[in-house]
Amino acid sequence: MDAGTLKGEKVISLQEAAARVPDGAHLTISGFAHSLAPLALVRELIRQGKGNFELTSMGDCWAADMLAGAGCLKRARLSNYMFEGFGRCPNFSRVVEAGEVEVDDYSHFAITSRWFAAALGLPSMPVRVMLGTDLVRKKPLDKDAIAEAPCPLTGEPLLFVRASRPDFALLHASRADPEGNVQLFGTTSTIEEQARAARRVIVTVEEIVPGEVIREQPEFTLLPAFLVEAVAEAPYGAHPAGMFRYYDYDHDHVAQYVRAGKSAEMFRQYLEEYVFRLPDQYAYLNKIGIHRLMALRADPWRGY
Amino acid sequence: MEYTRQEIMAVAAARELRDKEVAFIGTGLPMIAAYLAKFTHAPGLTLIFESGIIGAQPRGLAIGVGDFKLVSHCQKATSLYYVLSLLQGGRVDVGFLGAAEVDQYGNINSTSIGDYRRPKVRLPGSGGANDIASLAKRVIIIVAHQRRKFPEQLHYLTTPGFLEGGDSRKRAGLLGGGPSRVITDLAILGFEPVSKRMRLESLHPGVTLEEVREQTGFDLLLPSRIPETEPPTMEQIRLLREKIDPEGEYMAPPEPAGRKSS
Repeated sequence: MDAGTLKGEKVISLQEAAARVPDGAHLTISGFAHSLAPLALVRELIRQGKGNFELTSMGDCWAADMLAGAGCLKRARLSNYMFEGFGRCPNFSRVVEAGEVEVDDYSHFAITSRWFAAALGLPSMPVRVMLGTDLVRKKPLDKDAIAEAPCPLTGEPLLFVRASRPDFALLHASRADPEGNVQLFGTTSTIEEQARAARRVIVTVEEIVPGEVIREQPEFTLLPAFLVEAVAEAPYGAHPAGMFRYYDYDHDHVAQYVRAGKSAEMFRQYLEEYVFRLPDQYAYLNKIGIHRLMALRADPWRGY
Repeated sequence: MEYTRQEIMAVAAARELRDKEVAFIGTGLPMIAAYLAKFTHAPGLTLIFESGIIGAQPRGLAIGVGDFKLVSHCQKATSLYYVLSLLQGGRVDVGFLGAAEVDQYGNINSTSIGDYRRPKVRLPGSGGANDIASLAKRVIIIVAHQRRKFPEQLHYLTTPGFLEGGDSRKRAGLLGGGPSRVITDLAILGFEPVSKRMRLESLHPGVTLEEVREQTGFDLLLPSRIPETEPPTMEQIRLLREKIDPEGEYMAPPEPAGRKSS
């Protein structure tokens, strides 16, 4: 890793982070549209040949699509995978249409409530969404994870969703200290709920900073250290997605990726070029090129 | 003044939003219409996006609800769970959605075409749309008027309108009031109060009833007299072309020869 990385008990390399995730694990991964995606870690999982994963997802379109395209995904429960501005997720759509990945659909609020129930230590949570729709009627994977029942106190119709406790939350955030306190600038998606639901939490960050930097602005701390098993430094770790206050998503590379995803063969070539032939994230960044990376840097006033 | 059918669709949709309302906005044309409302008659409109953005400023045109342009200098950047919980808490006046397919009761499919387990086309999925349509006090749907988008039967019911009509929505336990309007590039549609079936409310200038019927896969209820949609003002068109979508990313500007659409 980078010689400049601060050392600490919880600081590990991306290689080590990926190595901790076993084949067949039940994962929940951060991401909303073209942001917050731990893609340096996802590339490393693919590079290490990990797979057979089960995902419980809200909007982590990037991680899901890369894993689907690399043949690493077995099943996914999700509320939405979409490449905003570019259309459907190319690889995920293709493998689902080919019957290669099993899916079960939720709404954003319902899937997040499954994590929230786990976070609160409850067996289930009542919600007032999905009622009356195919999101309730068509449940090939999760028939036993939802139930319509009246409120025991008022009799109002409710939908109960079962707590979900994924094996791992794999998350990308702005910065962390060596102790494992994690900060995030901008919108936070469902990262807090995912982290509190999962049995183990591994976070990649744009930068590892000294503890006193975190403690200067504790209001930005999303995850306190005790919730976090390990942190790994991954500058531009969300690329080709972006990170608010660090860099914008890479429009041209997203377009290139979406084109490659149109066929399994073309995507295989993409993976060869951007994953398998490169030893690590720094080699990836060299390939993307300093000019591009500089151009994507956020303007401090705008935040992107 | 010349304008395209997409432009009158955006203008008609913007007119559905009132000043000082709290509006939950979906990706695409709903954003354009919400921006237009904010720049004209509804400056006090609060725009919420499911990604966790409250009080976004309509500055640049965003490619989606997660775009950093919407986060930048908004009122509150928070979590997806927080903003969706505002819906369930009854705090949101209006939800504004696009659709891949919409049926005669205003139900929407955005999940799949064909068999669910082995779909012909896998679509993105509900996202927050089911939550918004389940819980907002009213919902506005904006969709291009094409027969394949207005089928007799949805392939998958992702997002509730009035379900099977009548009081079935209420009986299912859904809190929000359901869809109030479906705005298309041909017409404004509403729902008959008792049966909850879709009803023609007005035709855009230059559009015939036959054209609407051809592009609708089910029978629309008709009012005794069919009004004409109020045309856009010059100021609304100017804002759309010069300020909101100057690159024509969502709405192609009129062709130079002036393709007559009204």
